Amino acid sequence: MSFDFAFALKIVPRVLEGIGNTLVVAILSFMGASALGFLWEIARRSNRHVRPVMQFVVDAIRSTPVLAQLYFLFYVLPYYGVVLPALVVGVFGLSFYYSGYLSEVFKAGIDLVPRGQGEAAQSLGLSRIHTVIFVIAPQMLRNVAAPLGAYSVSILKATPYLAVLAVPEMLGSAFDVASETYRYAEPMFVAGILFLCLALIAVTLVNWLERYLGVTTPPH
Amino acid sequence: MTFLQILLGIYEGFGITAIVTVLGLLYAIPFALLAGILQHFSTGAARWVVTATIEFWRSSPVIVLLYAFYYSLPAFGINLSAISVGAMVLGLNIGGYGSQSVRAALQTLNRGQREAGLALGLSRIEVLRFVELPQAIAAMTPTFINQAIQLIKGTSLVSLLTLTDMTFRAKEIAQLSYNPVGVYSGLLVAYLIICYPVTIFGRRLERSAAKGRGASHEF
Repeated sequence: MSFDFAFALKIVPRVLEGIGNTLVVAILSFMGASALGFLWEIARRSNRHVRPVMQFVVDAIRSTPVLAQLYFLFYVLPYYGVVLPALVVGVFGLSFYYSGYLSEVFKAGIDLVPRGQGEAAQSLGLSRIHTVIFVIAPQMLRNVAAPLGAYSVSILKATPYLAVLAVPEMLGSAFDVASETYRYAEPMFVAGILFLCLALIAVTLVNWLERYLGVTTPPH
Repeated sequence: MTFLQILLGIYEGFGITAIVTVLGLLYAIPFALLAGILQHFSTGAARWVVTATIEFWRSSPVIVLLYAFYYSLPAFGINLSAISVGAMVLGLNIGGYGSQSVRAALQTLNRGQREAGLALGLSRIEVLRFVELPQAIAAMTPTFINQAIQLIKGTSLVSLLTLTDMTFRAKEIAQLSYNPVGVYSGLLVAYLIICYPVTIFGRRLERSAAKGRGASHEF
């Protein structure tokens, strides 16, 4: 079977139907991963007994494949009677996987905030939660903006993993076309090109945003 | 099935996981070094070609690349086995990331190193071989370890090309007996046993490297 460029061109709109889900999954997973990652890092710093436990949790998350984590959530949750749409399971899975990496980003970001800031807030009588929310977090944001931007692109590129859970994102749409037409070469090729374009657009946007915010060089 | 039986059953796929990892490294390391060095030295059109090649391999989602090459290459008359496609795609994807660490490591070297080498009468190639590369490779080792872990984890994707790796074995066992908790926690533990020591090793290297330099945030 030879490659049919006319057919490939014709199915582009069909594959593009999944782009909405791809973007929704990417944005939700990025927010989930940031929230969880920040939580891990704050927990890691909370006291010396929790520290080694959280360190292990973060290392364990980073030491297992995202595919295995997705399968685990997808097959184990229903076993305990938790039945969720595949898209929601997928967002949980990607959030969980990337939270391990983002907690490291937050760790580096918080390390760069001068120690005196936290001590000053405490001596002014702020509670620990208020110190984190009003003093540490805002100053940390500038330090983490650039690596967070890079990870947002990574998360976008991880969204096609959800096709294995039959979530109708772009790779999923490509598979739909393939199973309807019994031709795999063209849909997979088109999906490849479209994802490459999407990723390059995302990289350009993130770079532009970094320059706009003036955070291009991560401070050392 | 006991948990131990499940774990041993999953490790029956270790051979494929290991082979794809090793073959992947054989693609990744030369590609990372070559592309990183070429991107550092080339100018004009040549640099554009090198950058486009690197960006192609590292900007596309690896799972999509895998499917695209697996299904589309035969349509162009190129027939490769699933192992070859898996190792090539995973390896070049990681190599694309690696090339950026090589380039960054070369760029952050002090200019004086090169100038001193040239002043001693070494040729430009010799300066690269004996002065710049050894320092750059030492600087990028922690990043390299992290990327090797990404590659090991990435091999789970070859299960989608129906290769019998550890992930594929888990899916097979899951069909034999309904025990999703045992099988899929077994799968996570199986990868954890392999990758966790490497993660800890990389973290230690990173800490000792960070003493001299700023810590790197990329993976």
